[in-house]
Amino acid sequence: MAVQRISRAFKDISLSFDMHPVTKDILVLKNEDAIKRSIRNLVQTVPTERFFNPTIGADVKTSLFDFVDFGTASVLQKQIEIAIQNYEPRVENPRVVVDPRPDLNAFEITVTFTIVGLEVPRQQFSYILEATR
Amino acid sequence: MPFTKFTNLDFDQIKTSIKDYLRANSTFTDFDFEGSNFSVLIDTLAYNTYITAFNSNMIVNESFLDSATLRENVVSLARNVGYVPRSRSAAKAVVSFNIASSSTSAQIILKAGLVCVGAVDNTSYTFSVPEDITRNNVNGSASFDNIEVYQGIYLTKEFVVDNSTNQRFILNNPNIDTSTIVVKVGTREYKQVDNIFTVDSNSEIYLLQEIADEKYELLFGDGIIGKKIETGTTIKVSYITTDGADGNGPSLFSYSGTTTDSSDILVTPSGTVSVSTVNRASGGSSIESIDSIKYFAPRVYSSQYRAVTARDYEAIIQKIYPNTESVSVVGGEELDPPQFGKVLLSIKPKNGISISDFTKTEILNDLKQYSVSGINQEIIDLKLLYVEVDSDVFYNSSRVSNVQDLNARVVSALDKYSQSVDLNKFGGRFKYSKALQVIDNVDTSITSNITRVKMRRNINCVLNTFAQYEICFGNQFHKTIGSYNIKSTGFRIAGEADTVYFVDVSSEDSDIGILSVVKPTLDPNTYEIVKKSIGTVDYIKGEILVNTINIISTSIDGGIIEIQAYPESNDVIGLKDLYLVFDVSKSTINMVKDTIASGEQISGVDYPVRSSYSNGKLTR
Repeated sequence: MAVQRISRAFKDISLSFDMHPVTKDILVLKNEDAIKRSIRNLVQTVPTERFFNPTIGADVKTSLFDFVDFGTASVLQKQIEIAIQNYEPRVENPRVVVDPRPDLNAFEITVTFTIVGLEVPRQQFSYILEATR
Repeated sequence: MPFTKFTNLDFDQIKTSIKDYLRANSTFTDFDFEGSNFSVLIDTLAYNTYITAFNSNMIVNESFLDSATLRENVVSLARNVGYVPRSRSAAKAVVSFNIASSSTSAQIILKAGLVCVGAVDNTSYTFSVPEDITRNNVNGSASFDNIEVYQGIYLTKEFVVDNSTNQRFILNNPNIDTSTIVVKVGTREYKQVDNIFTVDSNSEIYLLQEIADEKYELLFGDGIIGKKIETGTTIKVSYITTDGADGNGPSLFSYSGTTTDSSDILVTPSGTVSVSTVNRASGGSSIESIDSIKYFAPRVYSSQYRAVTARDYEAIIQKIYPNTESVSVVGGEELDPPQFGKVLLSIKPKNGISISDFTKTEILNDLKQYSVSGINQEIIDLKLLYVEVDSDVFYNSSRVSNVQDLNARVVSALDKYSQSVDLNKFGGRFKYSKALQVIDNVDTSITSNITRVKMRRNINCVLNTFAQYEICFGNQFHKTIGSYNIKSTGFRIAGEADTVYFVDVSSEDSDIGILSVVKPTLDPNTYEIVKKSIGTVDYIKGEILVNTINIISTSIDGGIIEIQAYPESNDVIGLKDLYLVFDVSKSTINMVKDTIASGEQISGVDYPVRSSYSNGKLTR
């Protein structure tokens, strides 16, 4: 019988719960995709939202209703960096750039990081933070 | 690894269990990281498990009388052992008034409902009667003498029996005094019963049970146990909802009742009706607390409504006289000399220290149905054994700004201790070491205390009459050879102009001392004997016997002589029928500067030493 080997790669489920077209199984997020998703989850989690773990997350929600300028951007940048450093041990040297877009009333977030223990290039992803309500 | 910790009540441990399970079984790996999608799923699962475990725990707790916390469940569990928790009871007052009117009817009927209004603490309370009261109308005047009125609002409710299986007879008001419930089925009045001892298929009875939200439900017979009610019959229930203990106190009432003649035509009194008070409103109490139900339900069950042991009496008297704070039961065989076939009861009511002769008779009558044949009960008046302390409290003056304030705080702390459950009951115990701690813990500036304990009983003298007195303390006296073990307040006896005191003379070779009546002389260390050997003092039993003496007046109003003794043990117990009271108002607290602690007297040469023993004076 062949020995079953479990990969050391990072594997997470997709919260879209969509089906894989070929395997008909749930979609799987792997390695850098899993970590990117994790960082977005952390940033979008409001502290006190998780049961019995009130400190997790970044308090970006309150800043989104402030002026869209570099002052608020620097506050956001600090909060996102702290959240990643505290709760995402798989990345190192995170660099967060927050770019205010006053005309869109939003901030563009660019996060660059290195994954610990994986032979992959330094990763970068961007997304828009916008006050919706 | 199987996931088996279903009942864990710690969220983090549940989460760890799920992670451990996944680590061994899953192809996914990211559940260890808080930001991952999998972590959201695990949180949801763990929270779900946690809530389920918590609910299971609550359900199990609520299933047992000892651990249930919701009143509804405690009452329901008590019901399983046949215990009906006491309802609120309305304060009752006894009033008299005359209704003068132009009516020529032979009888005047005071209708059930509001009778008068009384006030206490700037709040008005209504007083009602639960049933119509009829009196003869003589020369245009009907006397309603000694009418018992209940504090509260009179209400009625009607049910029409439809004999459906799910019909329930629920009285929708909380705060009902269940003793005022009157149930009329058609024209017949049904009787409330607690048990089905004498009930047969024709008994016109109903049972009462407390349901949710302190409301009550009536249960009628099924044709086997109790008479069955026919379909279409109207049941009319009247009752009084009360404010309980808040209604105690009013002594002045103004009339607000409704009267009719025998043809049910309204009779208007001519002129104002003045209400005279026979007894002020008292006896109102709250609904039985959850703690009390938990305490008494198993005891009433074990007594099986039979007063046999002392504990049975405790449970049953609490049931028939809800105003009871503490009960002491002494079997006649324990008395000296023994009185077989007799049970002596002493009851401390919640308000006041004595119960009226009328209440005693009522309690004894109610007790008859529970007690064993051939055993006579007697309710004797409460005997109060007071404990006083004489305390020297040492304080560090460098840490105190206001000594009077500190003294007041010590008194306040002792007062609080005096209301604790250790004391104020039959079989209570004054715990010396606890009292010392209470004083020491008042403030960090208190360095120590020297506290002397005294016992006191009051003699209610029969003035201007030759009488004998026996005063039992129930605790051994501390005996110092010589005198002044027993002290009293002053009184006067026939044939002696000066105020005199009791004093004892003890000897080394006897446990019985001699009691004499003496008067002080100019020298504070001596006294002049007025009557020698007027009685004896039994130091071991803690008993003072005064032979025939004619006391004509006492220094304290009300014919009271206070007799004081020092206990052999500083822990004073309330033996048999003695009700222990810690009397802080008659205790003395002296504040003494601790000169060593404050740094004034490092060597302690002039330290203010205080004695731990009696002061050696004649008077109290």
